[in-house]
Amino acid sequence: MQAQPILEIAGLTKTFGDFTALHAIDLKAREGEFLTIVGPSGSGKTTLIRLLAGLESPTDGAIYLRGQRIEKLPANKRPTCMVFQSLALFPHRSVGENIGFPLKIRGVSLTDRRERALELLDLLQLPRSYVDKRIQDCSGGERQRVALARALAFDPEILFFDEPLSALDYRLRKTLEKELKDLHARTGKTFVYITHSLEEAMVMSDRIAIMRAGRFEQIGTPDDIYARPISRFVAEFMGEVNLFDLALTPEGMQTGPLMMAPGITSRINLRTGSRITMMIRPESITLLDPDEDAEITVTGRFIDEYVLGSRVQRRFNLGDGHFVTVETLREARSALSVGAPMRLGWSLAQAHLIEER
Amino acid sequence: MGEGRFGVLAAAPLALVLALGFAAPLAIVMAFSAMPERVFDLGHRPDFSAYAAMIEQGYWRSLLRSLGMALIATVILMLLCWPLAFAMAKLWKTFTLVITIAVVLSLFVSENIRLFGWVLVLMKGGLLDGYLQHWFGWGTGGLVYNPGAIVFGLIYVYFPFMLFPMAQGAAMIPEDARQAAFDLGASRWTVLREIDLPLAAPGIMVGSLLCFVLSAGAIAEGKLLGGRSVITIGDDVEAAFTYAQNWPLGSALAVSLIAVLGGLVVIALGRIDLDRIMGRR
Amino acid sequence: MVGSLTGPTRGARMALGLYGALILIILYLPLVAVGFASVSRGRYLSFPIRRYSFDWYGQALASDTVRELVITSFKVAVLVTVLSVVIGFFGALAFARYDWKGRHLFQKLALLPIFFPQAVLGLALLMWFNALGVTPSWKTGVVAHLVWISPVTTLIIAIRAYSYDPALEEAARDMGCSTLQTLREVTIPLLAPGMVTAGLFAFLLSWGNFPLSLFTLGVDATLPKWLYARMVSGYTPLVPTVGMLSVAFSAALVVLGLVIVWVRARRRAGAG
Repeated sequence: MQAQPILEIAGLTKTFGDFTALHAIDLKAREGEFLTIVGPSGSGKTTLIRLLAGLESPTDGAIYLRGQRIEKLPANKRPTCMVFQSLALFPHRSVGENIGFPLKIRGVSLTDRRERALELLDLLQLPRSYVDKRIQDCSGGERQRVALARALAFDPEILFFDEPLSALDYRLRKTLEKELKDLHARTGKTFVYITHSLEEAMVMSDRIAIMRAGRFEQIGTPDDIYARPISRFVAEFMGEVNLFDLALTPEGMQTGPLMMAPGITSRINLRTGSRITMMIRPESITLLDPDEDAEITVTGRFIDEYVLGSRVQRRFNLGDGHFVTVETLREARSALSVGAPMRLGWSLAQAHLIEER
Repeated sequence: MGEGRFGVLAAAPLALVLALGFAAPLAIVMAFSAMPERVFDLGHRPDFSAYAAMIEQGYWRSLLRSLGMALIATVILMLLCWPLAFAMAKLWKTFTLVITIAVVLSLFVSENIRLFGWVLVLMKGGLLDGYLQHWFGWGTGGLVYNPGAIVFGLIYVYFPFMLFPMAQGAAMIPEDARQAAFDLGASRWTVLREIDLPLAAPGIMVGSLLCFVLSAGAIAEGKLLGGRSVITIGDDVEAAFTYAQNWPLGSALAVSLIAVLGGLVVIALGRIDLDRIMGRR
Repeated sequence: MVGSLTGPTRGARMALGLYGALILIILYLPLVAVGFASVSRGRYLSFPIRRYSFDWYGQALASDTVRELVITSFKVAVLVTVLSVVIGFFGALAFARYDWKGRHLFQKLALLPIFFPQAVLGLALLMWFNALGVTPSWKTGVVAHLVWISPVTTLIIAIRAYSYDPALEEAARDMGCSTLQTLREVTIPLLAPGMVTAGLFAFLLSWGNFPLSLFTLGVDATLPKWLYARMVSGYTPLVPTVGMLSVAFSAALVVLGLVIVWVRARRRAGAG
């Protein structure tokens, strides 16, 4: 755990004219880990991966690879390799020639290149006959695998990925996410992966770094981030969650639409003037029977429902512009009429409190 | 990284050719236009007398005439080419390829050979007149050696320069925008006015500009089909440079023409985003 | 589009098709006339042609003048082709591929010679050569042709350069290619089809160029220049014949080009 990180960036800054894409960020990647950098478009994640790959040079700061400074080295001098968003497979070369390309640049003989290409086709579970196939004749999923094979042929210290799955349809993406995770385990290489999809990151990664406006918002394991988002931004980024603002004023705790059972407010550690966001996941909320009670309750009127496969999401209007989403299993759903009042509840332990800095 | 430097390096060869073969000659022409008449070097005090001569001796008339003929040819070409350009971009596949190849091929034949061919077709006793006489005993007589024939020649020679940019413009009209307009109740005429023409405008503009500029300075059409019935500005420039050996006058004429055309080109090109027309993602 | 309710009606489509065909006929009518004239036996041409003969072709092919003209035209066209493709290759990268400060200005400046009357450009070049003390000859003709053909080749290759993913070059560099290796392994092969097309255009446009050749070749002459001189003064029945021979040569080159394209397309389809 305390071994030297394979990759370390310190104070990395990149500006384009007046615009600062990266604000002096720090990050360490451990040997052999699958590290995913997640952020919405414009968060600076693409700039970061291009700096790491050596396609752009930083305005300030340092990049270390096993303790060696490399930020001044151009891409062709770095022992790392990237899988591009567009995959960047050479359309004028066959599958085998694409895979053998990095070896050709190193002067490896044609027969050895072909041999290695065949091995990599095996590793990626593509038929050996594909070695002479044209790129144009490969399907989207096959191209992904060829691009991976080409990057592996380079035998990089670290593999970078710039959203390579973003152009694929949902099912293929799911399959390839699993394959990628499996490939990571089998090769033992360090993967640094960029995506805008936290869902994708959750499936594959050992650790996730969430970016926002050129800074890291939170770095942690998928479990950490899921259970303990550090900010409203991270919580909202994860998709459907309910967020409620709490504030302590001299008059007492302002809880908005939330009704707290006696003794609950005292368990929430709030200083006067500070603000806290309470996050509660839709699946943690229960529809209460008239005689049932909970630590925290709200009352709302039913608006509508969406069926998501085996689950159902329902929205309730709490008044004053507050809404809440509740998710239940499809079988457990009871019929509700629009506008019907309903009490909903959860416990403090199920909620997560986010203190805004 | 380094793209800026690569860009400059890659632009250098063409920039050099244009500087030495385009900018420098134009600068020389401008310099000569300021010289006293009938001198052959630049070692004189500029007096702009050539411009005065140009106005006094009525050369401005041929300039106006050339611009007028170019305008007529351009307008006719716009009307002639639009249906074809639209059909090429939106209706046809194979026929579009056939027309494209055929029209490009015709560009590879010197315009003087093609214009000479028209002389053979249209002259008295030519292909048209001769065969009409032969078959029906009635002919058209000679149709060449008049201003109309010059305009016809311009239309013929610059047809591809209108057709291709226009077809490219028409190809930029998204089919779903047209269908949405129809769906919203627009008539064919409204779709043409509100959707087709505005969206194809860059291509139409490039085509019209090319045709106008190239026809205004053309000389072969006037010489071969016009038979000196009309003196164009191109003829005047050539005559001043060659027979009359009056370089400053020729330069002043050329500068006047270039000023009009260059002004148009610079204004129009300034409004065009070439990346979009040529299809950068 | 077939059966589309929003497209033109059936009648309109037929009319458009006929219109297209008519345009093609008119486009080539003058060449038909030249073709007829070239096989007319009489020294003075008048239609309908009464007696046909290929004698003029024999004369043209045997003529030393024509041979000289062909050699000059060919020499000029080959040089222009090679130079303009090299210039256009780099020009296209600057035009379409690299992001650099002066790109938009460069794009527009590169187009100016195309948007310029060639005869006026020819005369301006003539003055410039005189001012430099260079005697016009076929070599100055090459320079003149380059001024407007290089922008054309630049545009043609730029179309190709627009259509490929810049990440391909980055990927090559990422895998260890030097700048030169990237050029050789990725950029040139990807732009090759555009360069071939541009080369064909350059050759044919130079071969058939008239307005620039008229003024910038001095005592030397290419086929179009000589033909023009003979058309305006001293007409000989060789004019249509030599014209047809020149056109036939261009056509043969184009056919060759199309056959290459077709064979390549067939091979690709076959491999797939």
